[in-house]
Amino acid sequence: MSEPRAPLQRIVVAGGGQLGVLAAVAMRRALPGCEVVLIGLPVEITAFADTAVSALPFTNGLHERLGIAESDIVLKAGGTHRLATRYFGWGAEGSHGMFPYGGGVDPALATGFAKNWGAGPRNITGERPAGSIAEVLVDARRFAPPPEDRATPLSDIDYAMRWHPPAYRDLLIGMAQSSGVQHVAGTIRGVEFDGEGNILAVVLEDGQAISADLFLDCSGPRTELASRHPAFAQQNWEPFLPTRRVWLGKPGQALAALEDRNSLLSEGWLSEVAGRDGLHTMLGTGDGIAQDAALLALGVEPVRVLGIAPARLQDCWMGNVVALGDASAQFEPLAGLHLDLAHRQLDLLLEMLPGRSIAPLERAEYNRRASLMLDGVRDALCLHYAAPRARTVFGEQTLPDGLGSFIDQYVRRGRTVFREEAPYLKQETTALLVALGYEAGVSPQNRSARLGPDETARRQFEDKANAALEYAPPYENWLASVLERR
Amino acid sequence: MKQSEAEPVRVVVLGGGTAGWMTAAGLASILNGQVRVTLVESEDVGIVGVGEATLPHIRGFVEKLGISEAEFMRATHATYKLGIDFRDFGKIGESYIHPFGSFGEELNGVAFHHYWLEMQRHGLAGDLGDYSLAVTAALANRFTPPAQDDSLSSTYGYAYQFDATLFGPFMREFGLSVGVERREGLVVSVERDGESGDVTALILRDGARIEGDLFVDCSGFRSLLLGQELGAEWEDWTHWLPCDRAAAMPCTHATQDLRPYTTATAMPAGWRWQIPLQHRMGNGYVFASSFISEDEACEAIRSAAEGEPLADPRVLRFRPGRRKRSWSHNVVAVGLASGFLEPLESTSIYLAQMAITYLVEQFPQDGRIDPRDRDEFNRLVDMEYDRIRDFLILHYNATTRDDSEFWNHVRTMTVPDSLAEKMELWRETGRIEKYSDGLFYDASWIAVYVGQGLIPRRHDPRPALGTVHTLERAFESLRGAILREVEAMPRHVDFLRAEKTRLAQAS
Repeated sequence: MSEPRAPLQRIVVAGGGQLGVLAAVAMRRALPGCEVVLIGLPVEITAFADTAVSALPFTNGLHERLGIAESDIVLKAGGTHRLATRYFGWGAEGSHGMFPYGGGVDPALATGFAKNWGAGPRNITGERPAGSIAEVLVDARRFAPPPEDRATPLSDIDYAMRWHPPAYRDLLIGMAQSSGVQHVAGTIRGVEFDGEGNILAVVLEDGQAISADLFLDCSGPRTELASRHPAFAQQNWEPFLPTRRVWLGKPGQALAALEDRNSLLSEGWLSEVAGRDGLHTMLGTGDGIAQDAALLALGVEPVRVLGIAPARLQDCWMGNVVALGDASAQFEPLAGLHLDLAHRQLDLLLEMLPGRSIAPLERAEYNRRASLMLDGVRDALCLHYAAPRARTVFGEQTLPDGLGSFIDQYVRRGRTVFREEAPYLKQETTALLVALGYEAGVSPQNRSARLGPDETARRQFEDKANAALEYAPPYENWLASVLERR
Repeated sequence: MKQSEAEPVRVVVLGGGTAGWMTAAGLASILNGQVRVTLVESEDVGIVGVGEATLPHIRGFVEKLGISEAEFMRATHATYKLGIDFRDFGKIGESYIHPFGSFGEELNGVAFHHYWLEMQRHGLAGDLGDYSLAVTAALANRFTPPAQDDSLSSTYGYAYQFDATLFGPFMREFGLSVGVERREGLVVSVERDGESGDVTALILRDGARIEGDLFVDCSGFRSLLLGQELGAEWEDWTHWLPCDRAAAMPCTHATQDLRPYTTATAMPAGWRWQIPLQHRMGNGYVFASSFISEDEACEAIRSAAEGEPLADPRVLRFRPGRRKRSWSHNVVAVGLASGFLEPLESTSIYLAQMAITYLVEQFPQDGRIDPRDRDEFNRLVDMEYDRIRDFLILHYNATTRDDSEFWNHVRTMTVPDSLAEKMELWRETGRIEKYSDGLFYDASWIAVYVGQGLIPRRHDPRPALGTVHTLERAFESLRGAILREVEAMPRHVDFLRAEKTRLAQAS
């Protein structure tokens, strides 16, 4: 007879940013009888998950599971929708590609059976369908989030949310307070361990010691808890990721665009993320780019420059401390992956939530999957630097194990290799490779496909696109009407 | 190797069994225009043709070739399959169905089986299978195709049980129709390039010389090209999977009803299968020759079979394991020539189909074999074999049976580390090691663990935090919904008959 594990009695979350507060809300919701203490450490500007103005589509599902309404993000936290990211100049100077979200393949893959058993047509290729409705909508600047209870021409569109981080954090703090999360202000002076690598208590600057069964390190790159663990070890990502400085621009004019932009300049990469709180501009440069050249490339008034030393933790879960987000890995904010990574790690922890006593093999299984997540993020960034023109801007980088073969399979054979726990769906990865200007080889099965345009597929796509355009209001109108009703 | 780019790659498939004709037909159809496929088979060489039960993936393969399901089912006397009923594996007298489907639904981010374990503790849950639509339908001998949405009616899939001696010829006919050239003859020698070691031609008994750029070894257990000619290293798995013989004996149906599932019943030195086809019942005893003689096994299957025997038992010999590399030089092995995992989970045809799919993906471009493609093929094939291997071993190791030498051996053997860790994680926490590539996911592992009495010591704390009444109501409501769905389904035998009539009228 199986017994339920004794539930955790107290969880300490170290970190006062939007990640730490969300983690505290999630833990409290999962275990209503468990005390959750949030140590509100001040947020560092290099904690990119905490300063992020957006996440990826995965977060929408997590929000829903945690009871965070998308309408609240729109109404109270400056929320907007992103359907795609436009890539400029990665394949060649003047080149341009679009990276939309979503699987958008065979509807048979969406059935209950396919999800649980993985059957249905095997993914022979990772190719995208004949175009993307998202791109059509972005170009027409039309969209409204589709209702969940019925099918509409927009139901298949996947999107990411953006928001104003302080307002989003306030929204989460409200939830944390009403759900009974305890808050302690202060900084951490030290950590007490037992002899087996478990934290007994966190000691604050004022001498207060807070004990718990489980500790979540959401303190960003300072890694306040994990770095004090005897098993703390890092893997250096510098050979793979060349960005060493990130230049932050002063937010520009508010913008409710459905797309964001990632441009490759001769100085480095330029990220532009729209928002109702302004257009956020960042420039990432490698070694050897002078300050005046960088500032010129940034194009807007500079606010700060941050140093980047990319690395990841060897094990994200050591003893009874789990590092999430920037505490588990530090890397450049090139594709907006920080918060998505942190949220997927948090979701994994929710799935594998331990009891009061932690089984070594569950920690190992968590670390196995979290490692795949970290390396998946690193590899998604590496794909940017290995893009045809990026190799001339940043120079040739070392490719992590397996990534050379991954690119080779795509370039020679048009095949996107499936990878467990990757940040993007297989079809999204293919879309990213296209946007980055990789030229896909022709897969053997496509060589044999009938030549010439497939009229039926083209017409179907056009019909779908027209239906979507007809159904979707101009996004700015939709946004204005929602905000008016408030 | 071929000279000009426009010229098709010459593929020579050796062996006219199920794997051979699946490969030839698959390549000729999917790679239409890029290949010229020749299949060499000999009437003097028998085929194994035992793989009567399949996995849901076969549907995708058949569809990919543009074959209609109806045509295929009629030609092979196929029935529908919702899963496998395992009897006496964990303990004599106990049984469970491993369904092509899931159990319940996750709730608040916690997998269903943790709730089930909690309800079991309170004595308030039925069998795990009660919460699976596939299991409940199977036990009621009912079948209807699943819905294509996200509802309860979509929580299962299906495969076929067919006459493998008819499936091969069906694929042959299809293969010939898409341009496969068939050559009758026994291979007497193999020509190889002195420098590269690649195979250049097969010499047949009548002196014919069959040249090729790529050779696919579908010669069965003999593995004439990859094993015998190239000497590809063999990894033996007999220690973990000791069954190495099968005594097959078809019978008439003992009852009018047709089960929409395969039955696997544990025996003193292995297990026996019952696979209901439209016209007969497939029967056989898979056994370990080190624990029982062939004569004893044949006697055992004779006395166990329920219908009238249609033939004497036929003994097949095999060796569990695989070639360390399924693709070496310009020879790719598909099917038994590449390896064999015993038929316990009907993976044989899947493994052939999987290898064909990967071969298509890694098919030589411009006639040249790139070592990178070969490595990628071998990586994928390894991953598939290793995952299935662990899952099969679990069926033997997770048992309390101590009634025979065979069961004592498998119960106490050291299992691969990869499996030992999965089992320990399950035992301690009720969690499953997750992956989304390969075969057999959470639901399959849970079905076998629970079905064979490997109950975790501890489960997720969260199901115990709510009130039992709420859970009880949710369980009852799920069970009620499943029963209503099943009641609305036709009997399997009636569904087959109605389909037959409908198709006859349509044509």
